[in-house]
Amino acid sequence: MTTVVGLKCVDGVVLASDRRASKGGMIGSKSVRKIYALDDNKAVAIAGQLSDASYLINLVKAEAKLMEFRRGFPLTVKEAAKLLSNIMYLGMRSYTPYITEILVAGIDETGPRLFEADVSGAITDEDFTATGSGSPMAYGLLEGSYKADIKVSDGAIIAAKAVKAAMERDPGSGNGIQVLKITKDGMEWIDIGGNGS
Amino acid sequence: MMPKEFGYERPFMLYSPDGRLIQVEYAAEAVRHGSPVVGIRGKSFSLMVTHTKDTDPLIDPVEKIHLVDENIGIAGAGYTGDINLLIDEARLEAQRYRVVFEDPIDVKSIVNHITQFMYQFTRYSGVRPLGAALIVVGSDRTGNHLYQIDPRGLMMSGKAMAIGMNCEDATNVLKEGYREDLNMKDAILLAVKALSKAEESGSPVEVGIAKGSKFIKTNLEGALKLAN
Repeated sequence: MTTVVGLKCVDGVVLASDRRASKGGMIGSKSVRKIYALDDNKAVAIAGQLSDASYLINLVKAEAKLMEFRRGFPLTVKEAAKLLSNIMYLGMRSYTPYITEILVAGIDETGPRLFEADVSGAITDEDFTATGSGSPMAYGLLEGSYKADIKVSDGAIIAAKAVKAAMERDPGSGNGIQVLKITKDGMEWIDIGGNGS
Repeated sequence: MMPKEFGYERPFMLYSPDGRLIQVEYAAEAVRHGSPVVGIRGKSFSLMVTHTKDTDPLIDPVEKIHLVDENIGIAGAGYTGDINLLIDEARLEAQRYRVVFEDPIDVKSIVNHITQFMYQFTRYSGVRPLGAALIVVGSDRTGNHLYQIDPRGLMMSGKAMAIGMNCEDATNVLKEGYREDLNMKDAILLAVKALSKAEESGSPVEVGIAKGSKFIKTNLEGALKLAN
């Protein structure tokens, strides 16, 4: 259940998600957060088991911060994504996998970066990606609309439209859209709709 | 039994006949040869000052104030390796706390943890008590804090304090100059005065300031600019 979308643009990255949490056949929450900031220039979007995901995020935040204090400069997006996927890989190998898929997005010296980590700890470098039960519908829109040379302002609209498309047809997704734009200037959060629709 | 002629060189952590732990006292003595750190707690801030180690023109200056988390900084006097061990333990504890509670650690908790950690080195034979004393400066939701931790595993909270060489001289300056209503600028100047009394040095002064749940490390100019 869930739809989360990530897009790489020329001047930054965009993450977008719906706000629905499912509990069996019920809607467990209509205002759940699926996008979390790791620090000033990195964020993650999650799909799957919320408890697993939030535990992982806490762990990665702590390890990243520790690393930053020890060496004096922050992790790159790739380092943060690799750190996360290493933990997930160990989980899979010890027969206690973290049931979640996580998009890691951010901007660093190497430019805008977007990664996707899955249950097995596999990590892929993406231009655009979607995950969760609504991802087939989101991909339908993304495949047609995404271009490599778009700006964050346009990317945010495409990402929001992709989540909207999934919310229309996927019963696991709904209750509003949250968008996060990450550029050199920092982060901007946008909430669209919410609770009712 | 250890032969008596081993005297102070005996490696074991044992009480002397008059009830003292000689090795721990030696560790405290090692700290008294370390470079000084001075800390002051005001009404809305706490701060510390120290000289950066800048003795050789070919070697980059060594900074002595370490960030532990966004709201806490530590500077030590004594053996650098021992200080670094304690700094890393403090950083680990700060992040462990974040994993569990999703909040920055409070100053009292981290000071407690470091104190416990250091104390363990005074309890066992075969280990060497850490030759390090720390000044901990931090700010959290309970206010601004200034702590001192010594090799005995003793923690002290206070308004103004100094560790390292000639710390009595620095403390005397602090005793004379400290007032309850000290503003940040006057506190910085008083701390620097006390520091230069303890150690004459041409090296630049490093300042750490905790205020409003944030810790900032800067130089003297930056600190005075911040105070204005």
